[in-house]
Amino acid sequence: MSDVVIETRDLCKRYGGKLAIDHLDLVLERGSIHAIVGANGAGKSTLFRILLGFLPATSGEAWVLGRDSRQLRPEDRERIGFVNEEHTLPGWMTVAAVTAMQRRQYARWSQPAFDEVIGHYRVQASQKVAQLSRGERAGFNLALSLAQRPELLVLDEPTLGLDVVAKRAFLETLMHSNAAEGCTVIYCSHQMEEIERIADNLIIMERGALRNMSPPDDFRARVVHWVADIPFRGPDARLIPGLLDEQRIDGVYHYLVLDQGDDFADFLRACGARDIHHMPVSLDRAVNGFLARHHAAPVAA
Amino acid sequence: MARTQALPIQIVTGDPRPIVRQIVDAVRMRIATGELQPGAQLPSVRGLAQQLTINPNTVAKAYAELTTEGWLESRQGLGLYVAPPRQRLSMPERDRRMDEAVQAFVHEVVALDYPTDRAMARLDTALAVLAKKTA
Repeated sequence: MSDVVIETRDLCKRYGGKLAIDHLDLVLERGSIHAIVGANGAGKSTLFRILLGFLPATSGEAWVLGRDSRQLRPEDRERIGFVNEEHTLPGWMTVAAVTAMQRRQYARWSQPAFDEVIGHYRVQASQKVAQLSRGERAGFNLALSLAQRPELLVLDEPTLGLDVVAKRAFLETLMHSNAAEGCTVIYCSHQMEEIERIADNLIIMERGALRNMSPPDDFRARVVHWVADIPFRGPDARLIPGLLDEQRIDGVYHYLVLDQGDDFADFLRACGARDIHHMPVSLDRAVNGFLARHHAAPVAA
Repeated sequence: MARTQALPIQIVTGDPRPIVRQIVDAVRMRIATGELQPGAQLPSVRGLAQQLTINPNTVAKAYAELTTEGWLESRQGLGLYVAPPRQRLSMPERDRRMDEAVQAFVHEVVALDYPTDRAMARLDTALAVLAKKTA
C-alpha cells in the first residue's frame, strides 16, 4: 500500500483567462489529518473535482490512492468518503432507510463502525432525516461515511453552522473513534480553532497555488507581531520586508511580518524606531494575516 | 497497583502558545509543585487527546518532549510515569540558564520601570508556590 494518498504534479486548470489551479505539486501522506485552508475561490473545490475524476485538468497529473484520477473505477471510489457542509440527504427518508441504502452500496460496510459513530448522537432509526437537527445530520453523515471504511475521507466545511456542542461531538468522533482509525483525513475549513486541534498538516491554497504545507505550528512560528514607536512617520509599507499587515494604534506602529528574524529590529531601528517589542501570534492570526496581506490595511489615526 | 492519575489541565486555541507547549508547561508545573508525584501514571496519549479534544499526535509530541527532558519515564508496556527527581542538566548549564532567566526578568523590570522591591515581592510570591512541594 502506498504511503501517498493524494498526489498532483504540475496540475493546472484554466477557465478562459483564469488559472483556477496553478501548477500545483501536492503530495499528501497516508495516516495524517491534512487541513486545507484557503479563501473562497482558492481552488479547493476545483482540486477535489479533478482528484475524484469529475472534472478534467487542463494539464498536469493527479492521482488518488495510487490511481490516476481520470481512470477511477467504482471500487476506487468506494475507498473514498466525502462529507460536506450541506449534509445533503433525502429529507423524506428515514434514517433506517438511508442507512440500508448505503449499506447495500458499499461492499466494505462495517455495521460496528456505523453503530459506534451514530451512538454518539441521539438519532433514532425511525426518524425522518428532515427531523434531525443540523448536528445530528452531520453526525449521521459522518457515520455513513466512516461505515464505508474509507481509506481517504474528505470533509468540506463539515461543521459549518453547527453549534458548539455539535462541533465538539463531530471532532471527537473524527479524531478518537475506532471507526476513523487508519483513515487519512482531508479537512477543508476556515475555522482555525478546529484546525489547531486536529491537523497534523496545514495546507494553504491561494488562487489555485500551494502557499504552505507544514505542521500548523511551524507556519504559526513564521509570523511575528512587532510593535515600535517611530517618531514622525514609519517606513513606507512597500519597503517593509515580509509585511503582512500594518496598523497604527495610538501613535504606535504594529507590524505583522512573515519570515523575518530578530534582525527585523535592526530594520526598524534604522527607520528611527525606539522602544521595539515583538511577540508570537496565534495560528488564527498568522493564517488570516497571510491570506489578507494584499488587502489595504486600515491606518488608524 | 498504580492507576492513571487525573490530569486536570486545559488548553486554549487561538493562543500564541502552541498546544504542545501548553501541555508541556502544564505537566511540568504540576510536577514542580508536587501535584504530580514521582511514580504517578499519566493518562494515555489517546486518553488525554480525548479529554482535550485534540489530535493524539499533539499529545504524543508533548509527552516525547517531557520524556526527553527527563520529567517523564516510559515503562515498557505500562505507560508513562512521572520520573523520580534527578538533575537533568549539568551545574554549569543550570547556572547559565538561570542567568538568562534572571537577565530577562531584570530587563523587564527596567523596561517597565517597576520598583525593585515590588518586583522582588512578586518574585517571592511566584516562587512560594514551588516551596509547597513536599520533600
